[in-house]
Amino acid sequence: MSKVFWSWKKLGRLFNPLDIPSRPIWMHEYAQAPATLVFKDFVRVYFSCRPPRDHNGQFVSYSAFVDLDRKDLFKVINLSKQPVFELGKLGTFDEFGTYPMSVIRVGKEIWAYYAGWTRCESVPFNVAIGFGRSLDDGVSFLKIGDGPLLEYSPDEPFTMSGPKIRFFNGRYYLFYIAGDKWVLKDGKPEISHKIRMATSSDGISWVKHHKTLIPDNWGENESQASPDVFYANGKYHMFFCGWVPHNFRETKVRKIGYAWSTDLENWVRDDSKAGIDISAEGFDDEMVAYPHVFELDNKIYMLYLGNQVGRFGFGLAELEGELR
Amino acid sequence: MKWRKLGKIFDFDSSNFAGEFIGFAQSPQALEFESYIRFYFSTRVRTENGKFVSVIQYIDMDKSFSEILGRSNGVVVSLGALGTFDEHGIFPFSVFRHNGEIWGYSNGWNRRKSVSVDTAIGLAISGDEGRSFIKVGDGPVLGPSLYEPYLVCDPFVRVFNETFHMWYIYGTGWKSKAPGLEPDRTYVIAHAVSKDGINWAKEGRSIIHQTHPEECQALPTVIKLGSRYHMLFCHRNTFDFRSDPSKAYRLGYAWSDDLINWIRDDSNAGIDVTPGSWDSDMMCYPHLFQCDGKTYLAYNGNEFGRYGFGVAELEMED
Repeated sequence: MSKVFWSWKKLGRLFNPLDIPSRPIWMHEYAQAPATLVFKDFVRVYFSCRPPRDHNGQFVSYSAFVDLDRKDLFKVINLSKQPVFELGKLGTFDEFGTYPMSVIRVGKEIWAYYAGWTRCESVPFNVAIGFGRSLDDGVSFLKIGDGPLLEYSPDEPFTMSGPKIRFFNGRYYLFYIAGDKWVLKDGKPEISHKIRMATSSDGISWVKHHKTLIPDNWGENESQASPDVFYANGKYHMFFCGWVPHNFRETKVRKIGYAWSTDLENWVRDDSKAGIDISAEGFDDEMVAYPHVFELDNKIYMLYLGNQVGRFGFGLAELEGELR
Repeated sequence: MKWRKLGKIFDFDSSNFAGEFIGFAQSPQALEFESYIRFYFSTRVRTENGKFVSVIQYIDMDKSFSEILGRSNGVVVSLGALGTFDEHGIFPFSVFRHNGEIWGYSNGWNRRKSVSVDTAIGLAISGDEGRSFIKVGDGPVLGPSLYEPYLVCDPFVRVFNETFHMWYIYGTGWKSKAPGLEPDRTYVIAHAVSKDGINWAKEGRSIIHQTHPEECQALPTVIKLGSRYHMLFCHRNTFDFRSDPSKAYRLGYAWSDDLINWIRDDSNAGIDVTPGSWDSDMMCYPHLFQCDGKTYLAYNGNEFGRYGFGVAELEMED
């Protein structure tokens, strides 16, 4: 076992759409894949939510935000009135969902990278990574094209998803996941995807790294998601989540993993350091998933999803110790 | 240009592909060997759910196109794995010799829910003289991007001046003619270049003038004669192209001296439908090639190539 330098102290569930009776119908339930943007007086947390299932029993996914009081993150001061993205046109990659999204300030604009969802015949969906810009402080985002920003390639054939945008050392880094294979389990296709990376000088034109960053640890056809990279004490710390695809719908197996790097290219996986696990009871007693680490007023926090991949919202944990 | 039709040189129904496959010899693409000429084409099989998928096969013919000397045996290019871009068919398949190998750019098809299909372009390489091809990966080399959001397909690839050039098409819209009808697609011709044939840079524009907003342009083919590049392609209307011969595929023509600027001049295509013949209602999926120093055009006729393909010989260029 490696030495323990830090752990995450859970502060409780931060947001659950079901707690807001006046919420719009498109925010019926789910608050998935939280991503933060810090303002002077509040912290905006983007998340993805869903209306009730349609007449075919299928979901679409929208992205939205909630503003939390910077002095008391458990106090909701504002909720987005509209989805921050429109769904795509007929036949486009994001016709049936924009989930998840990740944002970064670029001058006076806010840029967003998001995963768009379409529906297929032989497999349930395909996913690609799109891009939008906001000129109104992140209330709404306009796409600059109808297609995806990041293209499929021979080694990344489908389900490119989960983008996380970062800016390190004068370069943009996009951590994301790409499908490795669809695995049939009891005749049903389940996706296995892995963490990948691309870099860019302008945030628009990307060069893929063409490598899987993190080796498997949890089992054959392990699926990895939410590669959230945070710099502290001379190291890049990646918290991510994963599961074994044949248990995809069985929510209990989702876990948070950890890896570190000094150069952003070579990563050492060490899940024993993740420092967070499920609770004995509560909204996260079956899973902790989709971590997002951010710094606020000299403290480091993690947002994470609870049971059923965030169907009942996300929680907040505070770092105890030091990421090193 | 002026073409002399040599007729339908491959008749699917009287070939020994009939029975094994359920029809169609679409998008013939030629590859010249020393003593014969090979035509790759897409034919069809029916899958378990009753739908069709396109697969690549080939025939070898004598150089006067009068006799079939051989044919493919087995799989030429395998269809993609579950969830991949070419899971539900490959059509067309653009082949050429490169560094002692034969490279094939495939147009892969995959079925969607809200629209019928999407497509992307893959690469497969043959080390056995074109009998079988191995893909460079499960994913495409050219697919959807910001401004070309879907239906990236119909590759035609050649190396000119040590640069790989790909002419292809992308979708500009899915729309229904009337509410409740299945959506139809509109697409236009585009161009990309590459140093290695795998990493491509799209030029990022439609390169052939659209005669009207509902014109679909498909399967460009390019040949250099003298110092001029000539392109043939096929075009049809977005709607009613199956039922109304006047809206069905015809051949269009454009020329360029620099591979950047193309002048469309359909009146100079030099070939048109022949009433009462196998290509009376439709001409589509053109392919320009040379054999023994002569220039030819292979193409499909009525019903998108259900019954085979024909060849015409170039009599003169302007």
